[in-house]
Amino acid sequence: MEIPTNDRIIVGMDSLDDAGVYQISDDLAIIQTVDFFTPIIDDPYWFGQIAAANALSDVYAMGGIPKTAMNLVGFPLKQMDISILRQIIQGGLDKMKEADVVLIGGHSVEDRELKYGLSVTGFVHPDRILTKKNLSAGDCLVLTKPLGTGVINTAIKGGTASVEVIERVTQLMATLNRDAAEVMLKYRVHACTDITGFGLLGHLAEMIVNAHCGIELNAGNIPILPEAIEYAAMGLLPAGAFKNKAFRESMVEFSPSVNPVLRDLLFDPQTSGGLLICLTREDTDKLIDELNQKGIDEAAVIGNVISAPPGKILVN
Amino acid sequence: MKAIDARGLACPAPVLQTKSAIEAEQLNAVRIVVDNAAAQQNVKRFLESRGFEIALEKDTRGYHVIGKCDATALIQRETAPAAEAGIAKIMVMIATDRIGYGDDELGLKLMVNFIRTLKEMGPDLWRLVFINNGVKLAVRDSAVIPDLKELEDNGLQILVCGTCLTHFDLLEHKQVGETTNMLDIVTAMQLADKVINI
Repeated sequence: MEIPTNDRIIVGMDSLDDAGVYQISDDLAIIQTVDFFTPIIDDPYWFGQIAAANALSDVYAMGGIPKTAMNLVGFPLKQMDISILRQIIQGGLDKMKEADVVLIGGHSVEDRELKYGLSVTGFVHPDRILTKKNLSAGDCLVLTKPLGTGVINTAIKGGTASVEVIERVTQLMATLNRDAAEVMLKYRVHACTDITGFGLLGHLAEMIVNAHCGIELNAGNIPILPEAIEYAAMGLLPAGAFKNKAFRESMVEFSPSVNPVLRDLLFDPQTSGGLLICLTREDTDKLIDELNQKGIDEAAVIGNVISAPPGKILVN
Repeated sequence: MKAIDARGLACPAPVLQTKSAIEAEQLNAVRIVVDNAAAQQNVKRFLESRGFEIALEKDTRGYHVIGKCDATALIQRETAPAAEAGIAKIMVMIATDRIGYGDDELGLKLMVNFIRTLKEMGPDLWRLVFINNGVKLAVRDSAVIPDLKELEDNGLQILVCGTCLTHFDLLEHKQVGETTNMLDIVTAMQLADKVINI
């Protein structure tokens, strides 16, 4: 399919990045992204918050600041009370307020299954856009939220997750990546993405596909929700984790000591996951300290960029 | 061998169906058929976590998981590491949420204190099993959840009777330990060097 383009498009359809970027002037570019999905938890207000946090995240991951948003709604009017939709939209709106984002419109259709999300526009300086490229050997990789939301959402669907775990994971998914992004922008960051549907290894693979470098991960340092390990060992991985694995497995080499459950969890699809920040080694400790001061306690250095083998992820 | 047809079901349904079947009927041989490789992997992993030996097959009907739980293999597997380390394997089985008879309030205090002090057994403490009213110590609102979690984090295997949780309608409120069945409990008793009943 031929996709028209022009010289103002800095990030377009040809890249694997989180959002598109269009240059308006020498010092301003806009970031545009859209994301919506079906409910992952029962509480409509919290689902609204999570869907909004998830949609806004792509702008943060590109180094930008989200400014405006529009609601996207699919709603089964005949089966569901309209008050449910009101609560979802209220959740989304409260999250936008928290992010200093203004809702300026939206569109809804009648749908067999409920869907909610946002289209978001953000600002960024054209010289400060962060993409999935530009990794440099020796850089460190920092992850700002623990993994495991996909497994836990499957356990919730199966009625096996405890009330406390549901609360924990709901809070985690509804947490904006804004604070992490604000801290990140103070340091020498080379690349950034947010961890979502392809899982940690799927998104890391996108960063090194056709690149001249590889990645080395220290599995023991990767933050993972403890319940996710328990549920994954019980066989509660979502089908998406297996799809992600089948798609990118050939790029990953696991050391024999890495537990098979953990291997699969690294492919677990995340909802509103954390930022994956690639930055100079010298800045890494300071970044972690400042993230911790902001209350992002689980941020951790999970690995580093290596020159060889290129295009491979080694998990030790 | 019990056969379960979980074709047409999305994850996690095949695992949940297998789980309820082996827990309700205490099966030691089971064959599950599913319609995709992801569900096959999940069911395999679940059965492995419950001590089953697994064989996988694929044919025109779908993806099969055959699980067999061989009690002697289980004993051999479990005995070796502890014996090497020179550890006395102590199993503590708790069938009540209070210690002794008389004053209930005192009995509860004693139980809380007992569980908090259990860690003094060190690596000799090998299994902690909750059955009957004891399961109430492992569910929401129990005062000893943090202590039990600490024990579990330190590698202690905590088993909580599934039949008992179901009886008290507490299955969804379990906060710590693995849901277990009578076969696991009896096997653990057989493997333990010492069983202490409370």
